[in-house]
Amino acid sequence: MADPSGPSAFQALLPAWFLLLAALVTALLGWLRPRLWIAVHRLIGGIGVVAALIAEVVLFRGITSITGISLVAYGGSVVVDNFATYSVVLLCGVALVGLLTSGTAAPALGRRAPAYHALLLTAAAGGVVMASGWEMGMLVAGLALLVPSLVGMVAVDKAVDGPGEAGLRQLVGLGVAMAVLVYGLAVVYGATGTTDLSATTAPLAGASPPLEGLGLALVIVGLASLVGAAPLHDWLLQVARASRGAVAGTVIALAVTSGGVALVRVLVSGFSASLRPWVVLAGVLAAIACLYAALLSIAASTVRRLIALGASLQGGLLIAALVGGGLDNQGRAEGGVDALLFGLAVFALSVLAGFLALALLEADGMGARISDLRGLSRRSPLAAGLLALGLAGLAGAPPLAGFIARVLIAGAAMAGGYGWVALATVAASLIYAIPALRALAAIFVEDEDAPALAGSAPLLARAGAVACAVFGVVASVVAGPLIYVANLSAISLR
Amino acid sequence: MSFLAQTTTTTGVNFPTIVFTLAVWSATVFALIALAMPDQTPEQRARIKAVATSGAGAALFFSIWATQTQAANAAGGAPGGELLEQHSWLSSFPFPSTYHLDADGLGLGLLLLVSVVFFCASLAAWRNDRRVKLLSFCMLILETAFLGVLVAYDWLLFLFFWSLPVAPVYLLVRGFGRGHRARAASRYAIASLLTTALLILVAGLITVQGNLRAFDMGTLPTLPGTGQAVCFWLTAAAFLLAMAVVPVHSALLDLEEDSTGALAAVFGAVLPTMGAYGLLHVTLGFFPIAVNYSLFFAALAVVTVLWSGVMALRADDLRRLIGHAGNVLMGLVLLGVAGHTTISLTGATYILIARGLAVALLMLAASAIQERTRRIRISQLGGLAWQAPHLAAFWGVGILTASGIPLLGGFFGELLLFTGAFPAHRWTTVVVLGGTLLLAGVLLWTAQRVFAGAEHEGFSRVRDLGVLEITYLGILAAVSLFFGILPAHFDTLFMNGATNILYPLSAG
Repeated sequence: MADPSGPSAFQALLPAWFLLLAALVTALLGWLRPRLWIAVHRLIGGIGVVAALIAEVVLFRGITSITGISLVAYGGSVVVDNFATYSVVLLCGVALVGLLTSGTAAPALGRRAPAYHALLLTAAAGGVVMASGWEMGMLVAGLALLVPSLVGMVAVDKAVDGPGEAGLRQLVGLGVAMAVLVYGLAVVYGATGTTDLSATTAPLAGASPPLEGLGLALVIVGLASLVGAAPLHDWLLQVARASRGAVAGTVIALAVTSGGVALVRVLVSGFSASLRPWVVLAGVLAAIACLYAALLSIAASTVRRLIALGASLQGGLLIAALVGGGLDNQGRAEGGVDALLFGLAVFALSVLAGFLALALLEADGMGARISDLRGLSRRSPLAAGLLALGLAGLAGAPPLAGFIARVLIAGAAMAGGYGWVALATVAASLIYAIPALRALAAIFVEDEDAPALAGSAPLLARAGAVACAVFGVVASVVAGPLIYVANLSAISLR
Repeated sequence: MSFLAQTTTTTGVNFPTIVFTLAVWSATVFALIALAMPDQTPEQRARIKAVATSGAGAALFFSIWATQTQAANAAGGAPGGELLEQHSWLSSFPFPSTYHLDADGLGLGLLLLVSVVFFCASLAAWRNDRRVKLLSFCMLILETAFLGVLVAYDWLLFLFFWSLPVAPVYLLVRGFGRGHRARAASRYAIASLLTTALLILVAGLITVQGNLRAFDMGTLPTLPGTGQAVCFWLTAAAFLLAMAVVPVHSALLDLEEDSTGALAAVFGAVLPTMGAYGLLHVTLGFFPIAVNYSLFFAALAVVTVLWSGVMALRADDLRRLIGHAGNVLMGLVLLGVAGHTTISLTGATYILIARGLAVALLMLAASAIQERTRRIRISQLGGLAWQAPHLAAFWGVGILTASGIPLLGGFFGELLLFTGAFPAHRWTTVVVLGGTLLLAGVLLWTAQRVFAGAEHEGFSRVRDLGVLEITYLGILAAVSLFFGILPAHFDTLFMNGATNILYPLSAG
């Protein structure tokens, strides 16, 4: 490990600083020069994200091959390890796509565009802090950056269905999640006497069952809500209902990614798979989350709701991956963590792909009801293809990587001795496939004599949507290297 | 499977080691080309059709290459596995998965069948001018999926290919079906998703519980008695559902009835064949406990053959009749499974091929009848042989293949199957034999009602088959004749395949 004193302490959070600096510049420019082109804000944001990525990769180069940890700072509160690097790269990727595609929401954002971009960057910074935090305080600090930023992003989007109300409901939903999580962490601290997540496992094993159970339950419920797992997914549905596609996609993808990162940090590093009660609770929650979201999707009449419920299903799958074994007694990563990390990348980009396809349709003034999609393949082949890939990715259909992620998650759950969780995840994915197939039929085989769509979405937005959709296909071909990277990341969690 | 493990060596020949990859993925390459092409004018649509036919042709070419190479190797005493391909895929996962392609005699025989049927279906699809791009793309992806199932030797890869057809089939039925197409598509999708769910669970169980710690299918899992029984029943349920045997046959019948032309041929000939392949290759090949349930398969064979035979007798819709006839032949395959002998399983392989050829031929011929007469009900047809003698001749080849007449594809299979199954299930074999005679009678009677008799007034303007129709029906008839006249060409290959399947049973 590197020297924890001096510049290292600053260096450890360099990606977050870059993101916050870019957010500050964007906000200041928006205040001083309100009529500035939105492209300038996007450029500044993009520079910030790329700088954060480079910083993380430079730090990553210093990682020792044995432990996977290169830097520990702030008395062990912040670490730069393989897992942090993986998570930061993923978060920056999501943020970059969010920035590139914000053009589709520009008319609705109006003069609030700088605020939107600044909030996007602070949300990403919050996620980065959570990824690098190995201590409860840093986790809460990251959450404190993330949650208000996400709420703000929804609130500044002037969409048709009242973003103010949706923002408020999202604030309540995520606020309660955050409060529950913080309260749970406080109880865990009370039981263990430490806020260091790398040191809680042993004390927790000896803690009194009621206290330990309460703390663990609250933490899991809070994190489940953050990743939008049903039935704690109301905030996610509100965001999907009231926001533009690009905004909803970015907000949900950032929340799910950050939540997934926190799941690993807290439950794998902090609680360890050896603590059976939380694993059972996570299993029950995962099974309910997956099945509930899938069953709700059967009745979905709008493609927004269908995609949102797909995102919620991914949240349930992430929790299910955890029951498949965190780390074994020798500290080796079992299948669950690898599957979760692989799934996290695949799911985040699938959610983005689905919502960005929707954003392209919004730009042409199309409605979001499934019946509105009739004949889309003739009216706009690009949007039809992207939406199909997005839905197929969320449903986990081959040849997309979502399929591989699901099989790995189910296999890992079985390996962990939780066949019933595997059964629930498989059943939920297959149930979700039914409404997804119905939507595909509307897109490709139901004729509609409507004129072709103009394709008004900006080029960058289309490129971002294509990139996310294509990732789903490419990731299944290069699943081997991706899982190798996920495996390397998991090593540092020991 | 340790037997296979002993045989997985490559020849060192330069090119053929990627022949399975070429056979499986060439259709996808052409599908992507078709997807990128414009389809506004008739000329553009014709180009897409040409690309689709080329894709199916390429897959057929490589399938013939693979089958012929392996047949020659088998005849020369080679143990098999000469065309094996294995490359690392998910090597870092705690349960590694590899890109492992191989095929035994059963898989190679069906590889040939599937690629022939798809090639003929792609020719038949030239007559369609609606949504040409969607039809071509989905058909080629379907072909990739089915060929992939037949050569996948890794669980993850097998599941990948197995669940790939759900969306294309659903879209094809919804887009090109008739009647209750939405219901038929939904029923198929639900059944198919259910089989996928069961197989994912089995894959997880044998990977994790079977001490394999890998997704590879080349090694037999060491499952305890209960675990093996659970996996056996789960796979049997999944594959029997896919085979559409009685009593879970109605979804496939709806699909055949509510689809048109080329699609009905593909669905009727190929979909249940995939289930049969799974039953033989996985359920029998992986779980030695299967030998204890021989009676179950025998009983199912009797029920399927008799029920489907009687329903064929009652059927008035030509496609439904063909569907029931296909089910009777699937009952024969079940008898082969119950027989548990090399001879009965080799017979089942031949029957599967003959069944696929016969059903495809009859479905395409039924489509030609419907196009010309605007009728599909047998009671409304008659005397067609006067106007369409070529069509009547091809129909005759189809029903004779299904009936197991000498010199056509079905004969050798039935001979081997009944000979192989008789020692183990004497009465069942006799009853099933009776069922096949009933089927032969029904098919001949149908031919008489549709083609013979006095010239029908309403059909005086019916024209005979065109060049394109004669081409694709002729290919199917020629392949059936080939298997009828020269069955010995593949017998060593198919026998080796059957031996591979039976190896764990004899070991267990």
